Amino acid sequence: MIKYNRFSLENGLRVLVHEDKSTPLVAMNILYDVGSRDEDPQSTGLAHLFEHLMFGGSVNIPEYDMPLQMVGGENNAFTNNDITNYYLTIPSENIETGFWLESDRMLELDFSQKNLDTQKNVVIEEFNQRYLNQPYGDAILKLRPLAYKVHPYRWPTIGMDITHIENANIEQITKFFFSHYAPNNAIISLTGNIGYDLAFKLTQKWFGPIEKRQVKRRNLPVEPEQKEERILTIEKDVPSTALYKVWHIGPRNSADFYTLDLITDLLAGGESGRLYTKLVREKKLFSEINAYITSDIDPGLIIVNGKLMQGIDVLFAEEAVNEVIAGLTGKNGIKDEMEKVKNKFESSTVFSNTSILNKAVNLSFYELLGNPELINREVDTYRKVTQEMVIEATRRYFIPSNCSTIYYKSTRKE
Amino acid sequence: MKSLQRVQPPVFPAEKVVIPEAKSFSLNNGVPVYMIEAGTEDIMRVEFTFRAGQVKEYLPLLSSTTNMMLTEGSENYSSEELNRILDFYGVFLNSSAEKDSAGIVLFFLSKHIDKVLELSREILFRPVFPESEINALMKKRLRWYLVNREKVQNLAVDQFFESVFGKHHPYGHQVTEPDFERMKPDLLSDFHSKYYTPDNMAVIVSGRLHEKTIELLNYYFGDQKTKKIYIEDSGNILKGEKRKKVFINKPGTVQSAIRIGSTTINKRHKDYPGLKILDSIIGGYFGSRLMKNIREEKGYTYGISSSVSSLDLTGYKIISTEVSQKNCQKTIDEIYKEIRLIQNKPVSNEEMTLVQNYMSGEMVRMFDGPFALAESFRSAWEFGLDNEYYYRLAEKIKTINPDEITELANTYYNLDELYEVTVGSK
Repeated sequence: MIKYNRFSLENGLRVLVHEDKSTPLVAMNILYDVGSRDEDPQSTGLAHLFEHLMFGGSVNIPEYDMPLQMVGGENNAFTNNDITNYYLTIPSENIETGFWLESDRMLELDFSQKNLDTQKNVVIEEFNQRYLNQPYGDAILKLRPLAYKVHPYRWPTIGMDITHIENANIEQITKFFFSHYAPNNAIISLTGNIGYDLAFKLTQKWFGPIEKRQVKRRNLPVEPEQKEERILTIEKDVPSTALYKVWHIGPRNSADFYTLDLITDLLAGGESGRLYTKLVREKKLFSEINAYITSDIDPGLIIVNGKLMQGIDVLFAEEAVNEVIAGLTGKNGIKDEMEKVKNKFESSTVFSNTSILNKAVNLSFYELLGNPELINREVDTYRKVTQEMVIEATRRYFIPSNCSTIYYKSTRKE
Repeated sequence: MKSLQRVQPPVFPAEKVVIPEAKSFSLNNGVPVYMIEAGTEDIMRVEFTFRAGQVKEYLPLLSSTTNMMLTEGSENYSSEELNRILDFYGVFLNSSAEKDSAGIVLFFLSKHIDKVLELSREILFRPVFPESEINALMKKRLRWYLVNREKVQNLAVDQFFESVFGKHHPYGHQVTEPDFERMKPDLLSDFHSKYYTPDNMAVIVSGRLHEKTIELLNYYFGDQKTKKIYIEDSGNILKGEKRKKVFINKPGTVQSAIRIGSTTINKRHKDYPGLKILDSIIGGYFGSRLMKNIREEKGYTYGISSSVSSLDLTGYKIISTEVSQKNCQKTIDEIYKEIRLIQNKPVSNEEMTLVQNYMSGEMVRMFDGPFALAESFRSAWEFGLDNEYYYRLAEKIKTINPDEITELANTYYNLDELYEVTVGSK
């Protein structure tokens, strides 16, 4: 049971505090409710580029990292479709430096043209490193626009087109800051060696004076229901043919979320998952195979992907995947298997919550979902999934007209 | 209301690191066990480590394949059963074979200790090596290998180890396709019976320890015997290749991978703590010189780093990055420039304080929680060291001065000794 307190300031900033005296450290997490889904289709990748610029200096502090390292702190950040999330860990005696740094960059950024130019290059190299210079690295870039036609999830966080990054200018960026970075659009969590009183006092002191801002209202196009199967074939000089299949699911807060999570665990949770046991171990069709759901706030995806063994026909392998999925609707009891994935989920939650940083990141995200209690309730919700629910969800979601497939074919002769 | 002065709050020096001591004792057959009681949850981490790493192998893949086959079935359980039961109890098992050691680490809820130890004994001491399973594993591994060999960073690091340690030494030999056909049941079972023995083993336990931990460890492992097998000295000699600069052409790549480094002292040497600090300044943290210069100033890369690592027989230092083709040579030139700079010009007091404070914070993180404690314990213990090493490191972080850094840079970064490996397209 993770105990926490919540409060909010007059400017709308929400704060969660979980005290854990067993560590000498404090983790501070700041979530901004802005992600790549909030971008203009003409200038994608801005939320993520912006994350880089947040380290380029703020109105009273020329550089972010140096003073933090000076007090033994460490930090990082990530951006996804939904959120931009910053975090740091710091020996507790110096936590106030964290407040000073984070509040200043919420107040106002002050980065230079040079800084912007450099970070554009860094992001372009990140794009190259992650997507272009890796075998199969571009598959996810192709998968999104296949599955999504109108919703902004159709482009990746790094950006739809690298020219969007190249063309980003200071005016755009400044506008982006003031329409998304605001106390009333942020959630802070503090975990570790910090009590409620100190957390409250320091938040009030450093964030209290920042005024509420007019946050751009989110009005995203709704992805229409997919009516027929979509298939894309890519041919490339890669070592093995790969298969990618995705199906649309509901939003993060939908009732089915944990059922689908459990389904992907039955399929691919650990070495004893069905896909691995049947298709890697027994039939030897794949060298590796995985299944998971995206945790997107808006309607997301189930993703199954695998790399084929040499000489295996991709359609044959796909058929085998479909059979394993269909097997979930079989009449045979799967009580032990259900119990297995539930135990594993519980244990993985316990392990994840041994880290103050994980707890901080999770608390902010669950607060954004409108339910911080999820941090204590998730295991129960997951445990309540029944075989009937699994069968029902499998029948509902895993249908061809809801599916997009990429055959990533190797052109290599062996 | 008085308006807030947005100036940096007072900086407090890091508190002295206090590291819980591991309790040590021996099983009935002499196997050493180290126990670290820590944490707030009823969970445990148990590591079984053996001197069974690559250094013992006379064929590439032998150590890693033996290690991977441990979970592919035992005398009493098939691989499916083993994996299903481990998953059923919510156990996380990592098996790994490194350059010197190999073994398994298990994470689990303390209440499941009995089952976990029973299965660990099956995995470690009763594995079977059926030919069909080995062949299936090797076919899979070959696919993974082929994908990995498409990545410039893997080509570069494999070549780096070959260059620095020599292509005949197990630390340096590279894996090639035909190696995947050489793994046979008798080879693996021979490797297993020589190196996965009680004489060659240690157990590191941490977390909220179950009251029966010692009793159960003795029950499952205390009567395991070491068979007397004569092990011939390999006669391997560590000797770097003559060629200091290697370029590997990989057509069609958009970034080049660069690895620059050489062998160096390891943790047993008295200068090692100082070298760690020097390495941090060069490329060991986000505020390092290489990161500032190559990423934050020039934007040539998403990341660049340096590290110093210890092996049983030696140590090595390595600078690693991936950069766009057009900036590859410029980056290499800057790397050498930074090394010459730190050899010739003392670091400023401000930079010295920065790295000292940053590393003091790192030391706190290194001992935060049962898992970090176990990992830190292991990485000193492997070299015959204990917490005294960390206290010495903490003291060095506190007392080091710019002149010492200059001296270390001149002693340990001889430019003529550095190997330079680049992988990219011409």
